[in-house]
Amino acid sequence: MNIAPEKSSAPMLVLEGITKRFGGVTALDRVCFDLCPGEIHALLGENGAGKSTLIKVLGGIHQADEGAVLFEGASVDVNGVTAADRLGVRIIHQELSLAPNMTVAENIFLGREPHAFGFMRHRAMADAARQLVERLGLHEIRDVRKSVSNLSVAHRQLVEIARALATRARILVLDEPTSALSDAETAALFTTLRRLRAQGVGIIYISHRLEEIMQLADRITVLRDGRTVGTRPVSEVDQRELVRWMVGRDVVDYFHRPPHVAGPIALQVTGLSNDRVHEVSLTLHEGEVLGIAGLVGSGRTELARALFGIDPVRKGEIALAGETVDIHSPREALRAGMVLIPEDRQGQGLVMIQTVAFNLALPWVREWNPGCRPDLSRRHSIIQRAIEGFAIKVANAEQPITGLSGGNQQKVLVSRWMEHRPRVLILDEPTRGVDVGAREEMFRLLGGLVREGMAVVLISSDLNEVLNMSHRVAVYRDGRILKTLDAADTGMEEIMTLLTGVKTA
Amino acid sequence: MNTAKRLIPLIGASIALMVLFRILVPGFLNPENLVDLVQQISVNAIIAFGMTFCILIGGIDLSVGAVLAVVGTTAVYVLGYGEAETQSLFRFFLAVGAGLTVAVLFGAFNGVCAARTKMPPFIITLATMMVARGAALRFNQGRPISIPAHETLFLGLGNGRIAGVLPVPVLIMLVILIISAVLLHRTRFGQHLYGIGGNREAARFTGIAVGRAEITVYILCALFTGIAGIIATSQLYSAEPASGAGFELNAIAAAVVGGTSFTGGIGSIPGTFIGAIIIGTLDKGLNQAGVHFSYQYILKGLVILAAVYFDVRRKR
Repeated sequence: MNIAPEKSSAPMLVLEGITKRFGGVTALDRVCFDLCPGEIHALLGENGAGKSTLIKVLGGIHQADEGAVLFEGASVDVNGVTAADRLGVRIIHQELSLAPNMTVAENIFLGREPHAFGFMRHRAMADAARQLVERLGLHEIRDVRKSVSNLSVAHRQLVEIARALATRARILVLDEPTSALSDAETAALFTTLRRLRAQGVGIIYISHRLEEIMQLADRITVLRDGRTVGTRPVSEVDQRELVRWMVGRDVVDYFHRPPHVAGPIALQVTGLSNDRVHEVSLTLHEGEVLGIAGLVGSGRTELARALFGIDPVRKGEIALAGETVDIHSPREALRAGMVLIPEDRQGQGLVMIQTVAFNLALPWVREWNPGCRPDLSRRHSIIQRAIEGFAIKVANAEQPITGLSGGNQQKVLVSRWMEHRPRVLILDEPTRGVDVGAREEMFRLLGGLVREGMAVVLISSDLNEVLNMSHRVAVYRDGRILKTLDAADTGMEEIMTLLTGVKTA
Repeated sequence: MNTAKRLIPLIGASIALMVLFRILVPGFLNPENLVDLVQQISVNAIIAFGMTFCILIGGIDLSVGAVLAVVGTTAVYVLGYGEAETQSLFRFFLAVGAGLTVAVLFGAFNGVCAARTKMPPFIITLATMMVARGAALRFNQGRPISIPAHETLFLGLGNGRIAGVLPVPVLIMLVILIISAVLLHRTRFGQHLYGIGGNREAARFTGIAVGRAEITVYILCALFTGIAGIIATSQLYSAEPASGAGFELNAIAAAVVGGTSFTGGIGSIPGTFIGAIIIGTLDKGLNQAGVHFSYQYILKGLVILAAVYFDVRRKR
């Protein structure tokens, strides 16, 4: 099924018939992939399609059961992380792995610090870091003595890239690099990647975002269920075909915006203020989705945190269903009928060392465990309803949550509140790291709940998502709502103009 | 289910130890010797149950040894107050109550500091350890206060036997074992502790009263320590202001050998119980085998290291 692309040069890396099994599960089934120097090759597929496993085989974290890795024509044995490192393979994982308490330069040279007899040569290190950053054209992180904790996520990513390329890198792998980036930051990253491509680095780019890949990649390989579906030069594919490749069927529109039938007021916020939120007022009706469109760093998450009682509120009023409530903690927010699905799924949402069932039942402990006798059948039915209601793909409920794809983890987070019948559901970046199929499913289910009268605040950096899922869109910048627009009457351009503050005549 | 599976190697290890000591010490597995063994581990096990709660939520309580001493001195001070000639039930309960109250106050202080400030529990309890030790040494100029021989009820707590067979400390320990196990493994409070230990932020976001649970845990740990303190004092026939030194380390060792993870979120009461048995068997066995106490320390250290090594390896 592989369609050989026209190559300007011989591939530097060829993965041939890679098969990887975990117990009885075949994660990769005779996968083929190749990469030329100076090429951006996108690896596309839903979560669970095998992209991460393939990358881990390349990175020496997993060893393939069958198949060969050819590097510049010669077969190599990538039997460990150091072996991959020696080949010049650099992987930037989705979760950034920087030491936030250290400076840019210290992070770049972590583990390879220039020293004299064990004594740090700080100046030499800073100079070398600065040279590297200049050479790579990463001007945004030119100030290499800055502490990483003061950098935005986008700039931290650049530090990761600089670190990856500090030593002789031949292959750079980026796993979902733009999931936390705003559109402007994404554009900047792409410029950087194109420059690296021009320098002859082979780049493997993993993403769910089709538009991005169409802009950036030279070739696209799609994986589905551990198999290679196909490889095409980007000029020869269209998006519809790619989506079909990924999900195995046609997805016409994965947004399921319910009709706008605004009921009584569910949430009324008046003049909400704290250090990061300034005089925010908004009204949300039952059965309505209010999108919050804002760039990364605009304070969207801070608004959610203030509403949910995580950050203290200095001024302002929150009323749910006409009743003013005093919210100082998530506990009180939940009691008032609000639920927040936090942005940082693993850090703030899930207990990663536990099972799927534990995570699903965590808010429900009171129901199934009234005293000393746990009502296990009640617990079981709550868990079962959540799994079935949201079509969570699990082998069994007692499996560790780490084994679930990002999309399914997100479904666990959302579904566990549904029996609670929240009046207001706040979703902060709900589709970050969630593949198209799971996205579609989640929006369909949410659409159903909205139809039943749930009110949703949807925070997302994906404008397309905000625009297509919401009834009204609040344009959010620097902790303020600039304008609330009717989603039907506006477009991406108008919102983007407001967000970036570019004045159009 | 999961917990039971994790206990199998631990049970295996404790049986292996017992067999080993049976070979070295002929009478090691005699019923009388075993009862003795369980009696000796009671104090440590009771403290270790409390410690398991603390470690499970990602905390620690270093003050237990010193609190144990201050509980003992307080109780005996109250018991001997006024130099009565005969035993009185009222004074007995007053003494035990006073001891436990002091313990709970220390626990509440630890808990409130841990929950409401950003101070790390290690430092908080290191400080209260010193405060408690100092408080214990205030009594009777730091000299032991002996328990009057007519206080048979109090002395019975540490030395009595029910029906001439079951030592009272063992009974108390078993009761606390059951209470702790039910609390941790069968109640929503216990479930919340696993949630808090596994991911504190996520627990807070799901509406769990993290601070309240944390305060409860430190109070529980201190309360258990108080009970252990009464028993230990009774066993010594006197309140020793310097007693309890190093007990915190033994309790941590029992919890950790029993599979409690220092990063929080993993651990069980039965595991800690077996951990306490392993530590106690080592202590007693090495003693009876005539191993010099210097070697005992070295061996104990190595066994703890090995136990945790295998546990960590298994978790991968």
